[in-house]
Amino acid sequence: MSMATEEERATKAREAGDREAARLWRAWRTVHEMVQDRGYQLSEEEVKISLKDFRYQYSGPDGSIDRNKMKFSADPSEIMVKRYTNLPTTAQPVPPPPDVGRIWVEFLPGDNVGIKQMRNFAQFLSQNSHHTGILITNVSITPAAMKIIPAVANETRIECFMEQDLLVNITHHELVPKHVLLSKEERGKLLERYRLKDTQLPRIQLSDPIARYLGLRRGQVVKIIRKSETAGRYASYRLCV
Amino acid sequence: MAAPKSILKKTSYPATTSRSKDERDREVALYHANLLQERKDIELKILLNTETLIDYPLASKPYDASNPSPVDARSFKKLVQPFQPSDYDSLIVERNINEHCGYSLCPNDRVKDGAAGKYRLIGKTGKAKNFKVVEKGELEKWCSSACAKRALYVRVQLSQVPAWERDITYGMEIDLLDESKSGEDPTVERHEKMDSFTPDDPGKKNATDLALERGDKGVGAKKGLVDVDIKEKDVQRPAQAPSFETEDISERLESLHLQLEGHTTVFGSKRQRRHHEELEGIDEDGYCSDTDWKLD
Ligand SMILES: [Zn+2]
Repeated sequence: MSMATEEERATKAREAGDREAARLWRAWRTVHEMVQDRGYQLSEEEVKISLKDFRYQYSGPDGSIDRNKMKFSADPSEIMVKRYTNLPTTAQPVPPPPDVGRIWVEFLPGDNVGIKQMRNFAQFLSQNSHHTGILITNVSITPAAMKIIPAVANETRIECFMEQDLLVNITHHELVPKHVLLSKEERGKLLERYRLKDTQLPRIQLSDPIARYLGLRRGQVVKIIRKSETAGRYASYRLCV
Repeated sequence: MAAPKSILKKTSYPATTSRSKDERDREVALYHANLLQERKDIELKILLNTETLIDYPLASKPYDASNPSPVDARSFKKLVQPFQPSDYDSLIVERNINEHCGYSLCPNDRVKDGAAGKYRLIGKTGKAKNFKVVEKGELEKWCSSACAKRALYVRVQLSQVPAWERDITYGMEIDLLDESKSGEDPTVERHEKMDSFTPDDPGKKNATDLALERGDKGVGAKKGLVDVDIKEKDVQRPAQAPSFETEDISERLESLHLQLEGHTTVFGSKRQRRHHEELEGIDEDGYCSDTDWKLD
């Protein structure tokens, strides 16, 4: 009798461990896809890792996934650099260099994320000259800790996601149209062609899930490509605000 | 079209009429930009102060929460001064994340009750009126109920008004529950405070007062839109001593002996009296009946 319950308990624990591993694997896959979709360089092997390989590489001695191991960096591709390249203007014949660089992604273990954890993350990014950092947590971050992000914005860009937000890749959903970030050059041409001011475009909020996925910044323009049964494919544009 | 006739004497504001609209627009824009910047600066200061206070107290034994080091006590009061109660609650959360007792001057760890269950019964042995059901999470913010009481004592003194909208003359002075034991003459500090609120020139003080009356009361309004030039009123007739003859003093007879040059002194500031009233809600266990901490 007690042997059976002992076994049951072990089975339950193993199942819970499996679920947790699968959950973290899905978040790991999504964040890799996200980084790749933004234009950073990642190999297909890194992005399309199997659950088995994931468990093999990221488990601790007790067999459960160790979030401390879940971190990676990536560099922007040439295409991405080009997208962020500033155009010369009459006021600035030599434009400032593109505002992109290495990205660092880290899963943070622990039940609490406050000011200290955020400050440590910011310091790590600055010390290693990481241009951007993505912090992924299992719990929500305190409002006070979130205020660190604008306070260090001139040193490094910090973005935060929760594991549960990354369990599915929202851009893979059939009802979500494709969003493509326009380069500065494309943006200029678009506005010129339609004789528009950027503020005349419809808007997408910085906090919109797709804007967060693509890491959009205020003032950038995305092209949204929809498929329509009657009209085929058509594009619309939105200004990130 | 003639401009509407001003109710103000023209001579009072010669500058306004001679300035162009553009100039005034620019000034108004600048004024609002300054206010916004002031607010941002204060918000950043609150964040940095919170960060500093996570690791308080700095002094070690023999100092503790009931007997804080005077240096720590003084800087704690200063750091917490721009806080609203919500900022103070955030500080407690941040200290708890790092396992510290929620009261900034306490060097202990918070208690952590490993047992399951959301509620705890306290005061089981004493009188029936002390018996309470308390949420476990509330108890786990502190090392003891004494610290909960100390922290609440500070919290009720914090202004609900954001620091950037507070009166410049608001004499914020935080008292600690254990003040008398801290071994420092509190009057010394009080004098310093009073000095700091004495404006260097009376014109500035008057301008400040007028700005306050107009509602430009934040610290951001130091360089407010009112430009005041106070002029001494010329009195032609000879000065006369005030007399009782024309006044009915029967109503004031009772307190007349307390007056000094027509002013009746009241002991304790308005604020202190208010805190007294608020603190009466706290019983021996340090749990206030009326806070959003759900201690009751
Ligand atoms: Zn304590």
